[in-house]
Amino acid sequence: MASLPLANILHHKLRSLLSAIGIGIGVCMLVTLSGLADGSLFEIAERMESVNADLIVVPRGLADDTVTFSGVGLSERLGDYIREAFPDRIRRAVPVFTWSMSVGGEAHRVTAVQPGDWDVLTNNAPISEGRIFDPDGTFAAWLQRRLLSPEAAGVAPTADDLRAHGGLELVIDSRLAARAKLGVGDTVESNDHTWTIVGITPAGVITRVLMPLRTAQYLFGTGDITKCTMIFLNLANGADPASTRQAVAEDIGQDVIFVSSYRDMLASRWAPMFTYVNIVNTVALMIAFLFAMTTLYTMVLERTRDIAILKSCGAGRAFVIWQIVAEGLLLTASGMVIGLALSAMADWAVERYTLLTIDISPRWIGMATLAALAGAIASSLYPAWRATRVDMAEVLTYE
Amino acid sequence: MTNSDNILEASGIVKAYGRGETRTEVLRGLNLSVRAGEFLVVMGPSGCGKSTLLHILGLMGRPHAGTVTFGGKVVGDGDAERNAVRREQIGFVFQRFNLLSVLSAVDNVRISLKVRGRADVNGRVEQLMDLLGVTHVARRKPGRMSIGEQQRVAVVRALAHEPALLLADEPTGNLDSASSDALLDLLRKINRDSGQTIVMITHSVDAAGRADRILHMKDGQLREQS
Repeated sequence: MASLPLANILHHKLRSLLSAIGIGIGVCMLVTLSGLADGSLFEIAERMESVNADLIVVPRGLADDTVTFSGVGLSERLGDYIREAFPDRIRRAVPVFTWSMSVGGEAHRVTAVQPGDWDVLTNNAPISEGRIFDPDGTFAAWLQRRLLSPEAAGVAPTADDLRAHGGLELVIDSRLAARAKLGVGDTVESNDHTWTIVGITPAGVITRVLMPLRTAQYLFGTGDITKCTMIFLNLANGADPASTRQAVAEDIGQDVIFVSSYRDMLASRWAPMFTYVNIVNTVALMIAFLFAMTTLYTMVLERTRDIAILKSCGAGRAFVIWQIVAEGLLLTASGMVIGLALSAMADWAVERYTLLTIDISPRWIGMATLAALAGAIASSLYPAWRATRVDMAEVLTYE
Repeated sequence: MTNSDNILEASGIVKAYGRGETRTEVLRGLNLSVRAGEFLVVMGPSGCGKSTLLHILGLMGRPHAGTVTFGGKVVGDGDAERNAVRREQIGFVFQRFNLLSVLSAVDNVRISLKVRGRADVNGRVEQLMDLLGVTHVARRKPGRMSIGEQQRVAVVRALAHEPALLLADEPTGNLDSASSDALLDLLRKINRDSGQTIVMITHSVDAAGRADRILHMKDGQLREQS
């Protein structure tokens, strides 16, 4: 036997479709906006966590600003000191310099590292096309000689000098390469220099753009090629992260944070954005369910005769209420399907046409499902209660 | 006092509409007894309270005074008890058929069984549809049936759960004379063959001619046709 709620939905196809789309838009907004906030921020966290390191040394007092801090902050020699001071606990100390530059028309955070530290920074990520910058370290050695030798003092290398020795080379990740339509051998103009892309790495490494440490130190720092932004510490096997962190911090007088805390720092730093997203989601859901409630209420008003017929057959309050609530749940289920389909389309479009990431997680799908179910029941109950008040004798006699 | 032969008794029924100066009593201490297996017709001019009486007998409306006794038991005022009696014992046929427009003919019948917590035992629905000549429209929705077919489906729905009492409110009021005659013949046949008790309200003298007993409503009271 056909279900009455389903038959009603199928009989009023356009109205049902519009209602389901209205609910679907609310669900899509919840899943997409939350997924966008989570995806974009936590993708940054995941990239930071992809570094084969346990601790990060940052300038004292700037631990809370790690997610935004860039430029000169520490002496890279501090890395050598830490390794020597804690030989049993620290296996590698990797100084990096972070900055930002425009590539493919968008600003990107750049990480600069010594070529020899590439394995730690990218956790041995392969170069999928081309090669790493300054692969044999000749540029770094040349720049060090030029800047540190007494006979070269006072004669700054020019951009042509840097280019000629392979200093203006970049490695970019595959998503940026696809988005900006860049490949190995292409050049980009940025920060008053012409850079050559020499390699492409799979997406997921610390930043989308990477360059030689010495270049970044020389061009974006103070000209002093011994300064860096932060130092990643790779612990030796068996070293306890918590006690090592405390010991290093006390010894060097700088802040030391866990790489694993970066995600929480990001979430904390961007807490207002999550609040904003939650408010927008709440409003979207409320609008979607007010829409559904209006639809159901109108439906009840239009269907007083049908409800009176059921009551004349002896239908009790529970049966009548269930007919309305079931219709609300069916509409909501349809809206969920539409909303998730819209979210999948939004996910595809955002990742296809931007460098943002939407993380459509089971958690948010679950949240959307719960919110939709709760909304469906809440928005059905009042129309359902109204339905039980129908005076069957009046309706069936005079309508 | 109740008579054990009576399936339904109404005693001292009062029903009024309006308040103050506009208050009009349509039923004034009305008494009625319906015997099991009887085909009873109630006639009377428009607005005299026939439908109001039928709704009270069918427990769809409440009187301001008086009692309704069904199967020897006074029906109380609680929704649950009234719903249960209506669900189990009564079938309605309305002038406007009152089929659910979104369901097919057979589903209209089946949902009434579902509401009543009944199953289609021994293919009764099919038998009734066959008896009333609506098998060919079983899968059609009301919008694709003729007026006569809709009313016959409504009769199937009213009888599917084997009610003790069938209440019919002007069932031929919207039918042409041929359809009307056919329906009345069918009701009479069902009454005679299966002993189905029927109380029918009608304006039609022809319709009344099929009845075992005719009551006239006047001034809020019922009078037996002499």
